[in-house]
Amino acid sequence: MQITFWGVRGSYPVPGAATVRYGGQTSCVEARSASGETVIVDAGTGLRALGNKLLRAATAPGHYHILLSHVHWDHIQGLPFFSPVYVAGTRISIYGLLTAADELHQVIGGITRHEFFPMALESVPAQFEFHEVNPGIEFEVGSFRVMPIALNHPFGSVGYRLDCDGTAWAYISDTAPFDQVLHKQHFLKGPEPLSQVDRSALSVMREALIQKLAGVDTVVYDTHFTPDEYERFPHYGHSTPDQALEVCVAAKVRRLVLYHHAPSHSDEQMDRIAAEYLAKGALVGIEVLTSFEGMTLPIGAATDAGAKPVDRPPGGAGAGGREEAGKGPS
Amino acid sequence: MKIRFWGTRGSFAMSGREFLRYGGNTTSVELVNAAGQRLLIDLGTGATELGKQLMAGEFGKGQGTLPILLSHTHLDHIQGLPFFTPFFIKGNQIRILGAAPSMTSLESTLQNQLAPHYSPLNGLENLAAGVSIDTITPGETITLPGFEVRTAAVPHGSMWTTAFRITADGKTVTYLSDVEYASVDEPLEVAVELARDADLLIHDAMHADHDYDLRRGWGHSPARAGVIVAERAGAKKLALFHHSPDATDEMIDEVVARTAARTSVPVFAAAEGEYLEI
Repeated sequence: MQITFWGVRGSYPVPGAATVRYGGQTSCVEARSASGETVIVDAGTGLRALGNKLLRAATAPGHYHILLSHVHWDHIQGLPFFSPVYVAGTRISIYGLLTAADELHQVIGGITRHEFFPMALESVPAQFEFHEVNPGIEFEVGSFRVMPIALNHPFGSVGYRLDCDGTAWAYISDTAPFDQVLHKQHFLKGPEPLSQVDRSALSVMREALIQKLAGVDTVVYDTHFTPDEYERFPHYGHSTPDQALEVCVAAKVRRLVLYHHAPSHSDEQMDRIAAEYLAKGALVGIEVLTSFEGMTLPIGAATDAGAKPVDRPPGGAGAGGREEAGKGPS
Repeated sequence: MKIRFWGTRGSFAMSGREFLRYGGNTTSVELVNAAGQRLLIDLGTGATELGKQLMAGEFGKGQGTLPILLSHTHLDHIQGLPFFTPFFIKGNQIRILGAAPSMTSLESTLQNQLAPHYSPLNGLENLAAGVSIDTITPGETITLPGFEVRTAAVPHGSMWTTAFRITADGKTVTYLSDVEYASVDEPLEVAVELARDADLLIHDAMHADHDYDLRRGWGHSPARAGVIVAERAGAKKLALFHHSPDATDEMIDEVVARTAARTSVPVFAAAEGEYLEI
């Protein structure tokens, strides 16, 4: 099994000279089994380039599986730009948490209401199927075993552990740490005082996460904030690399991948963060890598020493599929 | 009057080295008059960078006022809204003006964008700034501090968008983005009138002319549509705008060269960057 990062950014896409190496597109990771089966995690803007790649490689309309952590814009807005959507015969299975009282198909369909997008997902050639996931209840997608894990984020989100080919990785984004703020089904203007029940809920969530991560080789974790930034925005629902490292130490995983970078972090800042946490991880025996668009990691195997964020050639994962006009309205 | 393009890209924000010169951010255009008053058109991802820069001035102190015109509410024109920092500072007064999408209101559309499942902001009421939503009726003329704005509805696929003719300091800029005429050779009279003698016409040029046949009916124009409008209207300069996400800097260079070769109207492709004097 291997994973490829198509979008590593949080919140919103950030084009420009400051992000050419790590990439500006939002959350999207492709997992591929040794036999070539694919599962996509999150449908942020990185999904556009992935769709173009998958369509180029396809010899027949495909069946695509997309696991959603939650339905904030930065995790779903690539969906209308996923070119297989416009190919008749395509099937798309969406897996997600039922949040904010809406049916999943309504929430997903809602992103292409006529006010927002010229073509409704209900009327595209591809056929959509929606599956509600429940934390702790495992399911299978082809030869992948998928375990949803509850996370601490406004209105809820889930991480996923994916087992395949005798190894496992986990996608833990978006989440706040489990000690200061408990996200519920209401808007937080700032951190709210924690009740005993809240503390216990956080503790249960953290324990379940650590338990589910046992035996996982690689953990991709929401590390949106530097510690300074986190102090200012503890109620935004994101973590720091230190908080991620702490969870990974407790779960005894081999490798942590920093992910969901704040849009304000330039390539130079990301280089500094990458160097700092590579060193911090080494102190506790965890390999800490920093994700960039186009990065491919073998799961359960040593990291390719050449995996560094470089200027990608046109047409690479981060290039946005320029050589492919894509299909459908844009 | 000065203009700055903060986002020139249509549909989808494109990051990467081959989009650096014209920019990968989705649509947002700032106008500043001689008195320093400001007007923003559209809230694509480009607006996020402007928002950050505005924080250095009165917007950082909660004393800023800004009118924002929305051509329509497709996501590439509003996706910067939740990340436009002046919205988070109490005291700022921000007025969003746009036509109501069909069968719904402008306010409920923006509320829906910030609905709890889509955005942690969880509604316009949680923006700290004073935000007013003004529904305009295309065809009306709006007077804003320092700017006069004529509006018109223009066709965009199966819907309508609002085009703007903005005058300040005796100069005129016309914004005709997200428009497709039934015939490229016979642009809508109302569009030509809106661009009449404009100092700058900003026009949808999503498609290279040779790509257009495959994409007819999708609501966007080929580059030559702006030329025809500019020539008929006597516009003094043409900015090609709303570049396709597939168009690299080199491809846009080529479109500009081909377009410029067919007209005596000065043509350039809108690019993220510095303030330009109109």
